[in-house]
Amino acid sequence: MDINTKKLMKNAFRVTKERGHTASRIRIPGGHLDVTLLPFIQEIAQKYGNGTIHITVRQGLEIPGIKFEDIPKVNALLQPIISGIATRQEAPGTGYPASGTRNVSACIGNRVCPYACYDTTGLAQRIEDAVYPNDLHFKIALTGCPNDCAKVRMHDFGIIGMTLPQFDSSRCASCGACERYCRKKSVGAISMVNNRPNRSAQKCVGCGECVINCPTRAWTRSKEQYFRLVLLGRTGKRNPRLAVDFIKWTDADSIIKIITNTYDYVKEYIDPSAPGGKEHIGYIVDRTGVQEYLKWAMKDVKLPSCAEIEQTLYWGGPQY
Amino acid sequence: MGYRLTESGINELLQELSKDYVLFAPKRYEGGNTFSGVDCIRYGEITSVDEIETDAKSDYSFKEILLPLSQTLFYFTEDDIKQPQSRQKSALVFLRSCDFHAVKRLDEIYLRNGAPDAYYSRLRERCRFVLIGCPKAFSTCYCVDMGTNIAEGWDAAFEKKNDGFYMSSPQTELAELIQKHSANETDFTPSFVAETPVKVTVPDGLSVAVAKASMWREYDSRCIACGRCNFACPTCTCFSMQDVFYQDNGKVGERRRVQASCMVDGFTDVAGGGSYRQKNGDRMRFKTLHKVCDFKKRFGYHMCVGCGRCDDICPEYISFSHIINRLGDAMKEVNGNG
Amino acid sequence: MAENRYTSSWSEIVEVTKHTKIEYTFRLAYKGDVKPGQFFEVSLPKYGEAPISVSGIGEDTIDFTIRKVGRVTDAVFENWTGDRLFLRGPYGNGFEVSLFKGKELVIVAGGTGISPVRGVIEHFYRHPDAAAKIKLIAGFKTPDDILFQDDFRRWQERLDVTLTTDDNLGDATYRMGLVTEYIPGLEIKDLAYSAAVVVGPPAMMRFSTKALLERGFSEKDIWVSHERKMCCGIGKCGHCKIDDKYVCLDGPVFNYSVAKDFID
Repeated sequence: MDINTKKLMKNAFRVTKERGHTASRIRIPGGHLDVTLLPFIQEIAQKYGNGTIHITVRQGLEIPGIKFEDIPKVNALLQPIISGIATRQEAPGTGYPASGTRNVSACIGNRVCPYACYDTTGLAQRIEDAVYPNDLHFKIALTGCPNDCAKVRMHDFGIIGMTLPQFDSSRCASCGACERYCRKKSVGAISMVNNRPNRSAQKCVGCGECVINCPTRAWTRSKEQYFRLVLLGRTGKRNPRLAVDFIKWTDADSIIKIITNTYDYVKEYIDPSAPGGKEHIGYIVDRTGVQEYLKWAMKDVKLPSCAEIEQTLYWGGPQY
Repeated sequence: MGYRLTESGINELLQELSKDYVLFAPKRYEGGNTFSGVDCIRYGEITSVDEIETDAKSDYSFKEILLPLSQTLFYFTEDDIKQPQSRQKSALVFLRSCDFHAVKRLDEIYLRNGAPDAYYSRLRERCRFVLIGCPKAFSTCYCVDMGTNIAEGWDAAFEKKNDGFYMSSPQTELAELIQKHSANETDFTPSFVAETPVKVTVPDGLSVAVAKASMWREYDSRCIACGRCNFACPTCTCFSMQDVFYQDNGKVGERRRVQASCMVDGFTDVAGGGSYRQKNGDRMRFKTLHKVCDFKKRFGYHMCVGCGRCDDICPEYISFSHIINRLGDAMKEVNGNG
Repeated sequence: MAENRYTSSWSEIVEVTKHTKIEYTFRLAYKGDVKPGQFFEVSLPKYGEAPISVSGIGEDTIDFTIRKVGRVTDAVFENWTGDRLFLRGPYGNGFEVSLFKGKELVIVAGGTGISPVRGVIEHFYRHPDAAAKIKLIAGFKTPDDILFQDDFRRWQERLDVTLTTDDNLGDATYRMGLVTEYIPGLEIKDLAYSAAVVVGPPAMMRFSTKALLERGFSEKDIWVSHERKMCCGIGKCGHCKIDDKYVCLDGPVFNYSVAKDFID
């Protein structure tokens, strides 16, 4: 059997423990799927796989137990799924064109969750469209609010939804719910002054607890959706670490620009000898220094006027 | 007798009316609700008919026009107090039958229960009402059982139909204005809801004795005492007084009143730390009996108008109509034959 | 146009009597009709208003006995010096002293509950023939908490006064015990020609009325006065509503035959 494993992996198949068998990896950006696509997945698993699927930690699906020789047939059957999700492709029927940049994952977001500040799936799909296909090893995750259920701080780019609370004092009945919930469920950014809430802009994390718990609509959400962008978290062997705060109150366009800029930076500086062409961005930044990275990342980025950039970025985590 | 108006016709009418009136109607505030991407429908100033939300119930009622959530009573300096200017123009308020009945409840408290309230009465005197025809009840409405589905005595009526907007007024001056901008004269009586999906029965012989029933204990934990039901209610009238001194000049300040909720902590606090109804279930009982028992004992008719906004807005899915319907069994329980 | 009833007018502080560290009586210049048991909304702009019952009625003066227990009263204590307080009122029904004419009247007061009945006591002190007999049972936490010490000394000359403390702090000149302990043994000539007034904290009122009923008083001869949060005094703010009654309009003085059914 002669199989080019590099091509196989680029085509989003895995080299598995079982000789001659592979697993097909389906991207589902934002983790939300139209159920009309499920029968196609079932068909592949039953016809060419071992009748099971694995729900991956990145919210994709993996169909194991596929024989190498069935890859073309599987790719043909993947087409309705790829088209249905509108994943970018080189030629129809050839399956996925790249696998380096991983599925963009997200929490369930404001299509369902009351805490979420935006449509996480929608933005995940927008980002997927901007970055895929790409062989570079990028991990991007989105979460609807500062609860961070999606654990985005373990990714290269963590996107945390925020709302900038708007206060209409003429609708405030001084019930104190905002102050109480902010103190008990969030960061305690609100204090009552003259029977009215006073929000500390510095402390506020934009979670929206004040808005959610206001009984009179004195607190409402900003029309603009804002985000906290956290950078370069990673799991792994040498130096796992959490992402650090980079920009508070940024917007979606800026985030996408920063991410695509980072691709240019990585192309420039990636270790050419990295096994499988796979090097975590963080290690590259460790090598070039943060300032060089920021120079690339912030190129032509037009942040909203309220955005606050963290001046010093420092990552911790154990060094093994 | 009434008139049919085209969209441009009614907009011209509204424009002409706005010379003398501030026009208030239920209005859609995009993204203005609790959760992201959810609109809030509440009362606001309108200038054109497309701003009037007729397809959905407003989350909050018209009462904010007569009883602002926060109202400055006067400003004070060291030696002087000064009353704020009241709205100069009259108000023309578009509302449904249930809310029109609520006006009577507000009047009862603010004009007749004790001395009349100057702040209320000066807004009220210059307030006229346009009834919004209500052809079909919403899922949580129970106006029919509260006897508020049919309204009389409004200044004008309005209804959006497939072929335009219908209006009428029993008052010559308003009727002439409507006619002036109308497409044609036609028969028009506003629609009234004849049946609601929710039915309620206030039991005969309901009394404060029901306070001892076990049902209230369920709400000790279910209710979170947020007060949404009160703030959304068109008939809740309570307020608290506040004095405020300005941060930049401690010598001047204002006295204002803000709407108060009998469900929220602090409502009954007396100086020295005492308070009544510490359990949320007891607050629920107090509110319930006010709405469907003791208000009637005092004034002869029920306070609740059956708009169902409290059901719609409760984050804990506590249904007030369901509470009303539990009162019969609760009375049997306390009377010992349950 | 309806009259604005929320504006107050200032009144000069004529005299301040300090009873305890946290209880002062402010005597204010005032002209107008007022009955014992009625209350005013007393305020200091910037700090707020509080309903305070009239604790004494003089010629062109009224007294307010204020306890330093809240935001407004704290401010009054700290800011009154040589000055004035703002008043609006009087509100509420107050005690109708004519109802007690010729009767044996038992007054049971607990703590600051003495304030609203002080005017009633004074009335009968000054008009000893108006009532057949006055029996005052007043209770305070400790001797240090006793209000109107001078008045008590004076009243004792003409009226039947029982002054008791929950804890006499070892001072045997003060009786120790709850007011309720003195009710069962009350000597009443004719229960048909007697009345009782009970004012004080909720639990004290509950147990005192119970004791009076057991002593043979009929419900209609017992009068109580209720304290509630009140932001308006004119039946609007809703804080003082109990069942279908508004304490500010229908009270604060209630006949017990009505008040017995009150559930907060």
